[in-house]
Amino acid sequence: MKTLYVEGDSLLHRLAPRTKLLGLAAAGIALFLFRSIPPLALAAVISVAIYASLGIGLRQSLARLRPIFLTIAVVALFTLLVGSVEEAATVLLRLTSLMLLAAAVTATTGIGEFIDEITLAAWPLERLGLVKAADIGLSIGLVIRFVPEILDRYHAIQDAHRARGLKPRVLTLAVPLIILTLKNADEIAAAIDARGIRAQR
Amino acid sequence: MDIRFEEAEARFDGRIVLHPLTLSLSERRIGIIGLNGSGKTTFARMINGLVIPSSGHVVVNSFDTSKDGEKVRAETGFIFQNPQNQIILPILKEDIALGLKNRKLSRQETDVAVARVLQRFGISHLAGRRAHELSGGELQLAALASVLVTEPDILIMDEPTNQLDLKNRELVKRTIEGLDENIMVISHDLELIEDFDRVLLFHEGRLAADGRPADTIRRYRELTR
Repeated sequence: MKTLYVEGDSLLHRLAPRTKLLGLAAAGIALFLFRSIPPLALAAVISVAIYASLGIGLRQSLARLRPIFLTIAVVALFTLLVGSVEEAATVLLRLTSLMLLAAAVTATTGIGEFIDEITLAAWPLERLGLVKAADIGLSIGLVIRFVPEILDRYHAIQDAHRARGLKPRVLTLAVPLIILTLKNADEIAAAIDARGIRAQR
Repeated sequence: MDIRFEEAEARFDGRIVLHPLTLSLSERRIGIIGLNGSGKTTFARMINGLVIPSSGHVVVNSFDTSKDGEKVRAETGFIFQNPQNQIILPILKEDIALGLKNRKLSRQETDVAVARVLQRFGISHLAGRRAHELSGGELQLAALASVLVTEPDILIMDEPTNQLDLKNRELVKRTIEGLDENIMVISHDLELIEDFDRVLLFHEGRLAADGRPADTIRRYRELTR
């Protein structure tokens, strides 16, 4: 059961989750309003400074950010091929800044806090009789919590293939992964019921 | 504690997992033993309403499990075989606090309750740790804390010493011995329940023996020969 949250006492850790999420949304909008390189470069420098202030360490940071950064690099490269250097640089700086800011919020906000904020945000929908806000919060919290675990399970199945000298194939990886994930989801659902967590209103 | 099974039967896909059963339970420490697939986990799950009887009734502290599920679950805490699945949120203190959400406590009250239960089990130092970093014994204590923070009247534990090394097994055994709550323990670890008040033996979906630990355990050994 892994988490992207990092224990710490930085300024961002101490900020209220709502402030961080609203700040992230505002920064996301602002980044897409800037179209020239100097303000985006400044935003990238500030984002790097914010992320560095968390004290996560270079190696762990690279491990966390590499997959997203590679995706950004591919998008920037594609922009370079079909557009100009300036456009590619704009995409690279904008998305990198956004990635670092989102990663900083994720690393400093526990899933419990996310659940509380999402539940609060969904409250108007509950007033309209459309959903149960607590269920929405719990569901999204569980998605955030499950993603690293499903990845772990995928790697474990890959290892099991290698240990038996089998070549991993899409079908032989996907079927056990789906079965194990569903089985685990059943057990988690039973635990949620047993602990009366869904009764929260 | 007052648990009553009234001709309660459990079927899954038409197959009888627990034959109609009538009994009352009020002892403070009850052990449940039996071979794999004998119906003991189904029996325990019927007590906290995770399994609803296909016929008959299960009544826990005057609440019928098929009608008052939420009230029954407030009365009964359940520790699953794999405590890893018991811990829903990755950080221990967050997970324990999650169980208190429906109590409408202030943040400060929640923090106090979480700190108190962590201290009770001597795991305050694990508050900020991730569940996957905990040892088997620590994980069992964490699961206990996450359930007992809501102060249920009855605690059901499904094979709490399963897959634990000797050191962790002793740690969990000592902790169970020190619990003040009414407890029901499903276990293959016969030493764990040998001084309990009452032990039930299940065999092929039926209650095969019920009484003092020494007598029931002897009957269990006879059945497995």
